[in-house]
Amino acid sequence: MLVVWRRAGQSVMIGEDAEIEVLDARANRVKLGIKAPASIAIVRKEALLTRNENLAAAWSMDEASIESLLSKLPR
Amino acid sequence: MPRVQTKFFGSLEYSPNSVFLFPGGLPGFEEQREFVFLNLPERDPLIFMQSLTTRNLCFVLLPILVVDPQYRLDFAPEELIELDLPADPPPAVGKDILCAAMIGSAEGATPTANLMAPVIVSLKKRIGAQLIRGDSGYSHRHPLWFEGPALTC
Repeated sequence: MLVVWRRAGQSVMIGEDAEIEVLDARANRVKLGIKAPASIAIVRKEALLTRNENLAAAWSMDEASIESLLSKLPR
Repeated sequence: MPRVQTKFFGSLEYSPNSVFLFPGGLPGFEEQREFVFLNLPERDPLIFMQSLTTRNLCFVLLPILVVDPQYRLDFAPEELIELDLPADPPPAVGKDILCAAMIGSAEGATPTANLMAPVIVSLKKRIGAQLIRGDSGYSHRHPLWFEGPALTC
């Protein structure tokens, strides 16, 4: 992983077209401004993780896995 | 009583009171707005979140306190507005809101619970949302207790 220190107002470039600027930095969080081509999807990582989990949850739970889960649950 | 075609239980009658509106859908299922919550005695404590419009879409959930009795749930002001909940007193799980974790098993693994993004519904207003809490410290693949190390009493 590339690690760089930046201050508010400074940027990093990813390739020629994508720029991430630190707009504000506080004790426990930073505000980022991102410029990138419209073809690049930009989402918070946790939103992407949740989306992927939801998609997996929708197809992975079948009757067998539900019965298996029920047999292990304290009831 | 209206009927809904379900993924696991055939055609079921449901009460209009058990339909919850998700104005923004769910991440990955943004167009799915209406779900019926099924809590069948023989499948207790599982909650089945059946799409009203797509028969083959039914999420399996567990009450979050069943997964983690110590689960901490704090709401940001905009989340309370989204769910049309009062800020004071804070909404009580079971009385004002249902708070549940989506269960899934990725790539054939054992099922896990997404504690990072609980499904919250307002029981009074019948509005729901999946709230993503990136800074909560909770995992999107929380092992279910019986898969983890044995608990000591």
